[in-house]
Amino acid sequence: MITDLILMDGQGLFVWLAFGITLIACLIFYFKTRKTLKKYEKDFSAELERLSEDRKQSVLKKSKIASQVFASQNKTF
Amino acid sequence: MFSFFSASNIYYFLEKIIKFINSIFFIVLLISMTFALILSPPDYLQGEVVRIMYVHVPSAWIGLAVYSTITLLAVLNYIFKIKNFHLINKSLAPIGLLFTCLAVVTGSLWGQPTWGTWWAWDARLTSMIILIFFYIFYILCFKMIKKTEMAIKISSMGLILGAINLPIIKYSVDWWNTLHQPSSVNFDGSSTIHSSMLLPLMLMLLVLLLYCALIFLMKYKTEIIRIKRKNIKRL
Repeated sequence: MITDLILMDGQGLFVWLAFGITLIACLIFYFKTRKTLKKYEKDFSAELERLSEDRKQSVLKKSKIASQVFASQNKTF
Repeated sequence: MFSFFSASNIYYFLEKIIKFINSIFFIVLLISMTFALILSPPDYLQGEVVRIMYVHVPSAWIGLAVYSTITLLAVLNYIFKIKNFHLINKSLAPIGLLFTCLAVVTGSLWGQPTWGTWWAWDARLTSMIILIFFYIFYILCFKMIKKTEMAIKISSMGLILGAINLPIIKYSVDWWNTLHQPSSVNFDGSSTIHSSMLLPLMLMLLVLLLYCALIFLMKYKTEIIRIKRKNIKRL
């Protein structure tokens, strides 16, 4: 049964290549997107860290996004 | 009126939606792949190679749907000046490009055993290649043009111009004699596909849509952070 599934009446190469290329392309794209997001989160958090304590608190208070990114980064440290 | 679409409001829900999609994605993927590769029957004419349809057709649909969406949002952005629409477009365009390329590549893999050729310059295939160029043009606009406003203007013009290509893609198989078969799934009830093949097709579409949503949310999050980082001094 497994041989039938792999060979698919001699057309397995085309079918598995189509599914394989789709899967690999999607995986590469997923990991690339995730890596970019993590990099931006890390850089943003590092930039917040570089601010003076007062300024940092003010930014975190004003921006929901900044406080969420900062909290998520500090969780992973 | 559009305060609901503010970056802060949307950002709040992004993490939760990403987590939800991650939690169900692999189950839906497993079920869809089982249907597409094992449970669905071979075609009476094409045999087992028809299974390529389960990645080729949803990829093409997504490629076209994304282009239609970003064109619509570009027009709305031009009228209402909603900045988020431009961010949504920037996050969606690479997804559309990926799936249009996948549709062309998997189509080529389907073409070899059924038509006896990897490629033919027929109307459907050529118009899909043109769509890829319009996607590339849109993405390159933001990479090459430094001024955001100018990039938005030029890329939007490109999008609108490229929208002419959409009906050509859709109706190319009816207007011209092409190697590509006419559409089997129609929303007007005239579908010619059997339910045993329609179910795996819809399941694969669901999986790919979930994947698109996941990528879009991550890209959108990246765009929001990039803008916040740029404006950190103004906060």
